[in-house]
Amino acid sequence: MTREGRERLAQALAIVFVAGLSLALREDDFALFLVARVLIVVIACLGLNVQFGYAGVVNFAGATFFGVGGYMAAVLSRGTGVPHLFILVAGGIAAALAGCVLILPVLRTRGHYAALVTIAFALLFRTFLEVNDSLGGPQGLKLPELRIGPWRFNEPIALGRFEASFLLNYVILALFLAALAFALVVRVDRSWIGVQLDAVRLDETSAAAFGIPIARAKITAFTLGNFLAGVAGALSAHMVGFIAPNNYSFGESLILVSILLLGGIGNAWGLPLAAAIVIVLPEQLQVIQEYRYLLYAGLVILILLFRPNGLVPRPLRRLGGA
Amino acid sequence: MTLALFAQYVMNGAMLGMMYALVAVGFTLFFGVLDVIQFSHGDVLAAGAFLALGTWVALTKLGVVSPVLLLAAVVVVSALGTALLGAVFARTLVLPLKGAPQLNVLLVTLMMGTVLREAIRLFYPGGSQPQLFPALLPTTAYGVGGFHLRLDNAILLMAGALLIAATHFFITRTRIGLAIRAVAQDEETARTMGIDFRRIVLVTFGIGSALAAVAGVMDGLYYNEIFFGMGLLLGVIGFAAAIIGGLGNLYGAILGGFLFAALQTIGAVALPFASAYKDVFAFAVVIAIMAARPTGLIGERASERV
Amino acid sequence: MITARIARVALATSFVCAAAQAKDTVRIAFVGPLTGGNSAIGLGGRNSADLAVRLRNADAKSKYQYELVVLDDECKPDAGVQVATKAASDRGIAAGVTHYCSVVAMATVDTYHRFGLPTIVWGAVLPDITYKNDYKEIHRVNGTMINQNDTNAKFITERGYKKFAILHDTTDYGKGHDKYFTEFVKKYGGEVVADLGVGADQQDFTAELTQIQAAKPQVLYFGGLTPIGVRIRAQMDKLGLNAQFDGTSGIVSDDFIRGLGPLAEGVLAFREGGPAEKLPGGQFFLEKYKAQNYPNPPEAYGPFAYAAAVLLMDTIEKTGPDRKKIIAELAKVKGRDSIVGTITFDDHGQNTVPAITKYVVQDGKWVLWEESEYASGKRKLAGK
Repeated sequence: MTREGRERLAQALAIVFVAGLSLALREDDFALFLVARVLIVVIACLGLNVQFGYAGVVNFAGATFFGVGGYMAAVLSRGTGVPHLFILVAGGIAAALAGCVLILPVLRTRGHYAALVTIAFALLFRTFLEVNDSLGGPQGLKLPELRIGPWRFNEPIALGRFEASFLLNYVILALFLAALAFALVVRVDRSWIGVQLDAVRLDETSAAAFGIPIARAKITAFTLGNFLAGVAGALSAHMVGFIAPNNYSFGESLILVSILLLGGIGNAWGLPLAAAIVIVLPEQLQVIQEYRYLLYAGLVILILLFRPNGLVPRPLRRLGGA
Repeated sequence: MTLALFAQYVMNGAMLGMMYALVAVGFTLFFGVLDVIQFSHGDVLAAGAFLALGTWVALTKLGVVSPVLLLAAVVVVSALGTALLGAVFARTLVLPLKGAPQLNVLLVTLMMGTVLREAIRLFYPGGSQPQLFPALLPTTAYGVGGFHLRLDNAILLMAGALLIAATHFFITRTRIGLAIRAVAQDEETARTMGIDFRRIVLVTFGIGSALAAVAGVMDGLYYNEIFFGMGLLLGVIGFAAAIIGGLGNLYGAILGGFLFAALQTIGAVALPFASAYKDVFAFAVVIAIMAARPTGLIGERASERV
Repeated sequence: MITARIARVALATSFVCAAAQAKDTVRIAFVGPLTGGNSAIGLGGRNSADLAVRLRNADAKSKYQYELVVLDDECKPDAGVQVATKAASDRGIAAGVTHYCSVVAMATVDTYHRFGLPTIVWGAVLPDITYKNDYKEIHRVNGTMINQNDTNAKFITERGYKKFAILHDTTDYGKGHDKYFTEFVKKYGGEVVADLGVGADQQDFTAELTQIQAAKPQVLYFGGLTPIGVRIRAQMDKLGLNAQFDGTSGIVSDDFIRGLGPLAEGVLAFREGGPAEKLPGGQFFLEKYKAQNYPNPPEAYGPFAYAAAVLLMDTIEKTGPDRKKIIAELAKVKGRDSIVGTITFDDHGQNTVPAITKYVVQDGKWVLWEESEYASGKRKLAGK
């Protein structure tokens, strides 16, 4: 079996596994909520993975682009009759456009300097949302139910004798979108764009010497990444049913980055595992109440010290042949 | 705006800028020797402030009343303790990750910051609420028109300036300073010249952290209040200041610190929108500066041009 | 410290188990911010609810054994909806004492409604939480910020103050207070000379305060919580701004005084509900709280969390742990005595608290206005 074939099989198995898990848990609302959240976070982190892992463009405003998507969804679904499937796409487009504001400074800066640009943007966005009342201000906005055609997401599922929680709807959609995003990101990585991005990340000077259009490669990666974060944000906003600036703080962006690092930067395969750990672990730590972030931060430090390349490190690219 | 009011704004902004500059100097020192960002720096500052407060509480319980003695003890204990803390961080978190991606160091130190912050909140008695910091400096006030100057503020401003000058002197004129600059310039060469690289890194982290501790004490003396989360925003702003100025450059950090304070003050009082937008304004200007000068205001100019 | 806590819990549990073999266990949830900037109030509320459960379990007459399931909402809507889903979808949980942060309380009402979990809000003050929807599940023991600011504005204008400056944080709490105070103070004939928003984690307020000083107000109204309240009061002194400091329920905490020392003297603040120390059972609550040696004080809203937990357990004693019956029984609550005053739920589940308590800081303590030397004229508020 070729490597590509093996990966396809692994993807199919992963989807079947999540689908089976969700079906088994169909009555357990809370478990489904967590599954959906993990899937949504995976979509956003796949976007960041294209930026950090492939093109080497740092982005510490992941939650901000996630939030742009969420706010776009809120505005559209509250005020207009735009079909909801399109709203998810619009969330992504809005995030990609918001990213355009940063293109110039992001292209010109590197490393820590680029980090500052995105950090500044994250802080600016959150303060702006809080101060400005036109988008709900600090009190946030409520979102209506998600509907795609006759499919109403907030209704429990009942097909004949099969019954399940309404959250299974969101899990199904999130799983579909995550699979799509995953396939897209893996395709990008395998294509010549992926090779170009690798070259840009590893050595800009020689990449340019080989005639690779650096600016275009970086813009592509940055925009694609933000688009995915925006789609994830729009879906999340609908599932939670409420958005407020508190959800899109700099701290949340750092959580996304830590998922990326834990998963093994540049490797899309580690992400679901890392996202599951980062979402589910603090939840399991609820028992120790106020001590849980102390312990959580300590655990992340240990993982980074002992597995500096993440849980599933990125394999080297092998060009030509299996 | 009257002159007195203007003077008041300048005074406020200068004090703020001094605090930012002290934090930024730490960031820039660490970056110089190791090319890393020590993101828990703001929380190290908070730890320094709480260490100082703890020392004060302990000494007053023992019956020490002389403010001069108290102040000296508080500053010395806090600076030494925090220097040790900084060196321990360097030894256990930063040095082992040398060679790993820069991003890892950033995340590890960020998480260490969370650990410190949460530890203060949970284990310092009453740490989840602001703590009163004693006024150890004379609070005599002079008022001229709308301008209100307190002796303690003036002393703090001068102390800050002296501290920065002393750091500058240390880096440029002493043997250890020379070694630090050598390591910053080229680690390999510095090693072959017989400089103990690890020792220099630990010393630098110690010094930078001690500076943060002193900034924390100054912060406490100025605001008369300290809080477990105080380092969060100070850390981010100090980082921003160090970057705007140009990483690795002492003057850049100072310039960046004062510039950021000026932006915030202008954003709060001199612009035609609500003062709550001041941080939106300040960070937007930061982004614009980065677009115009991608390596900072006094940055390394030798970037490759392709 | 963690191990000590676990040991304590384990010990307590084993005691409790031995004492109550015959009783069924009923679980009730407590949700509030246990980590982050608002954790002080969250922990105070958690301890108070915990105290209510402990006292009830020690009572041999109670029909059930109660267990408090504590969840952290981090003061963030998405985390709040997550834990709300956890509590509400767990059929073993009979009811909940929920939320301090208004934005989280707003985000979660739909979840509780969907799963039919009866909840009593213990601290969030936004009026919309109870009034925006007609959800039978949602109740609230504390008053809204409307009541509080009405009383505040009336009181302060009656003292003869005319020119007001408002400083508020830009969270839902601060902005809401800003809105209602402005509305009421104008109604009672006051003039607002400056109105500025500040960040909830801001440290330096000298720029805003200098601006306020130039407008020469007689009163500085502050809508926000203890941490920045302390900073603002301290920095007013730095700048020589001698306006009367007038605060909201968010600063009624011992830490406000501890953080300021003598500077806290003469600060005014208002809180919904009666004063715990004067009401039946209030003194008992404060004594028992002390006896438990919790590491944090109950803070301003601890008594509400306690009252909410007591009310829930009283109801469950009557109805059993059946969610629908609890909701039906809660709708009948009228003129019930509690440590925060009488509780009467209107048809939106809102306690129509008549009482707003006025506080002033005197000699390092929050003193009831009526009993203070300021009211008797022995001491004077700023500028009087």
